Amino acid sequence: MAPITLKNLSKRWGKSIAVDDFNLSIADGELLVLLGPSGCGKTTTMRMIAGLEEISGGEIWIGDRLVNGLEPKDRDIAMVFQSYGLYPSMTVYENIRFPLKVRKVPAEQHRERVLRAAKMVELEGLLDRRPSQLSGGQRQRVAVARAIVRQPTVFLMDEPLSNLDAKLRVSTRAQIKNLHHELKTTTIYVTHDQIEAMTLADRVVVMNKGVVQQVGTPLEIYDRPANTFVAGFIGSPAMNLVDGKIENDVFTADRISIAGLKRAQDGPIMLGFRAEDASLSSDGSDIVAPAYSIELLGESSMVTVQAGGTLVAIKAAKNFRTGIGSEIRAQVPAAACHLFHHTTGERIVL
Amino acid sequence: MTAPSPQRAPLLILVSWGFLALWLLLAAFPFLWTLWGSFKIEADFFSKLNWQNAVFGVSTMAQTGSAFTRGGYHGAWVESGFGQAALNTGLVTICVVMISLTFGTLGGYALSRSGYRYALWILIAALLFRAMPHITLVAGYLQPFFQLKIWGYLPTAIIVLVAINQPFTLWMLHSFFMTIPRDLDESALVDGCSRFEAFRRVIIPVMWPGVITTGLFSFLLAYNDFAVTAMLLSQDNQTMVPKIASYLGSTQAAGHVMFAVAAVVSATVPLFLLVMVFQRQIVSGLTAGAVKG
Repeated sequence: MAPITLKNLSKRWGKSIAVDDFNLSIADGELLVLLGPSGCGKTTTMRMIAGLEEISGGEIWIGDRLVNGLEPKDRDIAMVFQSYGLYPSMTVYENIRFPLKVRKVPAEQHRERVLRAAKMVELEGLLDRRPSQLSGGQRQRVAVARAIVRQPTVFLMDEPLSNLDAKLRVSTRAQIKNLHHELKTTTIYVTHDQIEAMTLADRVVVMNKGVVQQVGTPLEIYDRPANTFVAGFIGSPAMNLVDGKIENDVFTADRISIAGLKRAQDGPIMLGFRAEDASLSSDGSDIVAPAYSIELLGESSMVTVQAGGTLVAIKAAKNFRTGIGSEIRAQVPAAACHLFHHTTGERIVL
Repeated sequence: MTAPSPQRAPLLILVSWGFLALWLLLAAFPFLWTLWGSFKIEADFFSKLNWQNAVFGVSTMAQTGSAFTRGGYHGAWVESGFGQAALNTGLVTICVVMISLTFGTLGGYALSRSGYRYALWILIAALLFRAMPHITLVAGYLQPFFQLKIWGYLPTAIIVLVAINQPFTLWMLHSFFMTIPRDLDESALVDGCSRFEAFRRVIIPVMWPGVITTGLFSFLLAYNDFAVTAMLLSQDNQTMVPKIASYLGSTQAAGHVMFAVAAVVSATVPLFLLVMVFQRQIVSGLTAGAVKG
């Protein structure tokens, strides 16, 4: 158990910058998710914390130790790899025991600790199997058991669910959440799946092109995205973003006109709102545009309309039906709108 | 759906079996012929009158009273010191295999995990040395070896054979290591291993097929070598292959050619045994992809 502090952390490969000036304090026992598209530097950041990647600049502190120069084995961490990295020549039992054996934990404790870790991830019946005889989900659980058996100060998880099928992913996600609640170990979790980030994280770090875009609780990130990248990355579907202009508190764009944006400066602007904040209504006049597609999601329908060159998603009741191309009218309350700078994409706080 | 294939299949099977049988015969015949002939005398096995003499052993019968004689083997092993040559071959082969594999596994692993570009150039340089005819190395070394007074000793031959073999072991083991995912190393590093421990405890256990296959090729190179050992070792301290060659060169001295035939058989038997013992590992090594995580 230890807090982690990253100071001006950066990683360069030649001239290309993988991680740029990363500053963050991770509280003891926190579950922090690094979220971003592939190539955004999230895995590189984690690998630097693990000691698997050399640091180009900055400092990493785990607890009160500066770990920059330490070997991975001396950092007191455990890691779950995307492809699990199980040892094919060993049984499940031996795989889980390996960290204890290598670190010379007294042999008489091994059995008890391996069994306890195996029980936490429900592997008791499979201890004599080899990794090649296990399913993907079982392998993933062996990797988790191997990580928790030693009770390290920090867990690192590198997209641990990405090789599982959708159904298993949901149940394993819940298992990881529960495990973290029980062990209360500082955890860094890397993913490109924003739903994983939302469900697991105490705090989320959204990254893009090596640069931190926003740090905050899942709710903060969802409700107040710091820029258009975060707005477009978080949520399913992502936030609608429309280019337009404001004049006298009224936002106008092709087939869209939203009034009541008080205190907003006149001029070109990027306006965002979420699908669930807009509502269809026959006398609505904020959006008047032809339907582009209607998708039934189960508990609701997603109506997409073509407002000029932009597709805008609007949530509707599940029994809503209409033909493609027919006119859709919708309302968007001004209070639910987010404003972003039309060139930098930064959030404009009114 | 009437299938013409069931009608054609028996013929196809017949043809393929026939082909296999013919191929087996062609492949095995020289060995069987040599094995059979090694128990005859020279007048039969090298008979100019009738090749059937080699089969039935007419002269052998006349000379020794039996269709088979152990004369060739006795001559080679007891009279002319083929035992010493076999021992030398054993020593040279074992040393070459051990040294090559030690450097090969360590070097191949290091090169496969190196992120630097020079790793590739080292491998290409190694390939270049591998491509040179063995005799070029020997020609260059001969004079210095005389001057250093290390010519004619087994360790000298071992060093030169290792030098010839090392590029190959490096390449082969390097490509085996490349098939082992880096995640394995990294798991081990995070779990508490040093680099060397990760190599020893995690990588080597999944590398056995590769090590055995590479070891076998190293073994064959050292065991079958003629150019290096013939040039670097003296007459009275030879390995098997040059010894056999020297028997064959002695057509004037009657009977010594049969020493060669018997020696050839003696030298081939260990190879058969070796391949049979390691059959499975060799196959899984050659088909590679030895690791399924």
